[in-house]
Amino acid sequence: MSVLEVKDLHVSIEGKEILKGVDLTMKTNEIHAIMGPNGTGKSTLAAAIMGHPSFEVTQGEVLLDGVNVLELAVDERARAGLFLAVQYPSEIAGVTNAEFMRAAINARREDDDKISVLKFIKKLDEKMSILDMPEEMAERYLNEGFSGGEKKRNEILQLLMIEPTFAILDEIDSGLDIDALQVVSKGVNAMRGEGFGALIITHYQRLLNYITPDVVHIMMDGRVVKTGGAELAKRLEEEGYKGLSEELGLQITIEE
Amino acid sequence: MEVKTNQFGVYTQALQNFSSRKQEPEWMLQLRLDALEKIEALELPVIERVKYNRWPLVVAPQLKAEQPALAAPIAKWVKDDPEAVRVVQTGNQTVVEQLPEHLKEKGVIFTDIFTALQTVPELVQEAYMQQAVKVDENKMTAFHTAFMTSGLFLYVPKNVVVSEPFEAIFIQNSEVTDSFMKHVLVLAETHSQFSYVEKYVTAGNEKNAANIIVEVIAKPGSKVKFSAVDQLGVQTTTYFNRRGHLEKDATIDWAIGVMNEGNVIADFDSDLVGDGSHSEFKAVSISTGSQIQGIDTRVTNYGRHSVGHILQHGVILDRATLTFNGIGHILKGGVGADAQQESRILMLSDKARGDANPILLIDENDVTAGHAASVGRVDPEQMYYLMSRGISKEEAERLVIRGFLGAVISAIPIKASRQELIDTIERKLSHDSE
Ligand SMILES: Nc1ncnc2c1ncn2[C@@H]1O[C@H](COP(=O)(O)OP(=O)(O)O)[C@@H](O)[C@H]1O
Ligand SMILES: [Mg+2]
Repeated sequence: MSVLEVKDLHVSIEGKEILKGVDLTMKTNEIHAIMGPNGTGKSTLAAAIMGHPSFEVTQGEVLLDGVNVLELAVDERARAGLFLAVQYPSEIAGVTNAEFMRAAINARREDDDKISVLKFIKKLDEKMSILDMPEEMAERYLNEGFSGGEKKRNEILQLLMIEPTFAILDEIDSGLDIDALQVVSKGVNAMRGEGFGALIITHYQRLLNYITPDVVHIMMDGRVVKTGGAELAKRLEEEGYKGLSEELGLQITIEE
Repeated sequence: MEVKTNQFGVYTQALQNFSSRKQEPEWMLQLRLDALEKIEALELPVIERVKYNRWPLVVAPQLKAEQPALAAPIAKWVKDDPEAVRVVQTGNQTVVEQLPEHLKEKGVIFTDIFTALQTVPELVQEAYMQQAVKVDENKMTAFHTAFMTSGLFLYVPKNVVVSEPFEAIFIQNSEVTDSFMKHVLVLAETHSQFSYVEKYVTAGNEKNAANIIVEVIAKPGSKVKFSAVDQLGVQTTTYFNRRGHLEKDATIDWAIGVMNEGNVIADFDSDLVGDGSHSEFKAVSISTGSQIQGIDTRVTNYGRHSVGHILQHGVILDRATLTFNGIGHILKGGVGADAQQESRILMLSDKARGDANPILLIDENDVTAGHAASVGRVDPEQMYYLMSRGISKEEAERLVIRGFLGAVISAIPIKASRQELIDTIERKLSHDSE
């Protein structure tokens, strides 16, 4: 079993404090959800854990099985077992999707143990069929000219190919129709199990109908303000963020 | 009476001897001698933002005797392949000529330029320094015409479609001190179709000048796919001129890897003379060490509805310099013409110097034209994205750059040449020393 602990995390961007002390602990074999109004710092949390260069951690730590990943370079964090599916992945012309994913897999292997082309293609075919992705997507340039939905699927495809210990999925549901949502959820559910944990960031409860979370965290104004079970998401759906913030006695303006 | 102060006049006798030793037709000698007289007065071609007037480019070649044969075995650059349609030249000598019987029967000619001057002089005479490049354009073209000492002639007759790519391998002999004066003449007759791949490498370490002119004459309706991997050595200072002359509805697709190690001035031009002619020009380049590469790519639309597109991608390491000038010129009368260009440069070091200059000259109203140019660093967002998948910084950078230079790689029709360009790119990127 692996553990990911976020402890008193403070993060600033351009001198402005966005995260004001986030605490959160998750284990493999668990699915956590983070919900919260727009602009509350959910993506900032995800980016800071992964190590995006624009975000400055001013306090706190992120421990993966006791190791502070904040001291590791981005690629080292990934190889240590972290994965982040982002809302707006980069497009890289001239590099095929397949070439990129093979490089990502091989980055985790020793020089004398690179994945064979045959094994790689077999795995890729298998994962792409889970996600209903046409074969030609493998030979297209990485995210170049992909529709919003194709990019999301491609992020989940990478998740299935790389098989990380902990995945953070940042608004993987936004802009998806119901069919696509089901496909993407199928991909995430396929990863569920002993060696895997996920942190699902979402604005809406909708996604959680397909991927049932074990734990739900509500984030507001740069902090986790409430943690509960799957029922918390349902309550939120009924009461809205406003109702919850009033109940908690928080002085927060919320635009919904 | 004319007073001769021309310093090149001293070469008159040597050129006469050379020409007679090569059994050139009389007109060829005359062309040389006329050009010889013009060198002195003509100016160097202007390559915007590149100063090269002190480069040792105008150095006459050895004319007295045949250049000694190359000592190095050619196996390093030429993988034996009896199936290949191929010419190999080492220094001034043609050492391999492979042209299958069925192509000979169709009238295809793929041979040493001096052989062609003897066997099909009228074909050479019509085109050589007449239609694409002109003798008196500038000092370098006149110098070339006077002193050309080796070359290749490719002729594909009317309506002949060749599926096998023509492959030319030119090995500069720098085991000796001698200028490399190479001419390639490609004649695509009406409605012919073929692809041609050339490669330039250097054997030996002597400091030499290279002066290379490649002319592609594309007659009406012909389709030529032209690709090249230039890898001349660090001790070679090069003037490169590749020029397409496109007649009605002719097409040339260029894919050039400018991967030399030494200083290079290059002029890559397409003259869209015929209505409906079309040139797609793609070049990629890497400058390393302290080398300077200045590349002028011009497309001139004369014809109605002619289309000229330029894409140039370059990478600079160390203290090197790379300049891309993209020149799109639509002349009056080029109604419906289209001129587009994109020049992008990635700088991988603080001391690198890069320049991407789009120049659009438009003398006609009813046209479409556009340009994009940028000089910058590898996108940190792209790096972050790749690294967030566990890929190391070095590998991520390599992938982004390989992708950035990929447009030319995929356009090369011979697998081995494609791989060679990939290997050359890797090699140039990995000796990221300074
Ligand atoms: N690159 C950035 N530059 C400046 N401000 C940013 C940047 N990214 C996010 N922010 C700000 O940080 C706050 C939190 O944003 P974000 O983490 O994206 O919230 P969420 O994902 O919860 O919607 C917002 O006020 C947003 O405007
Ligand atoms: Mg967000």
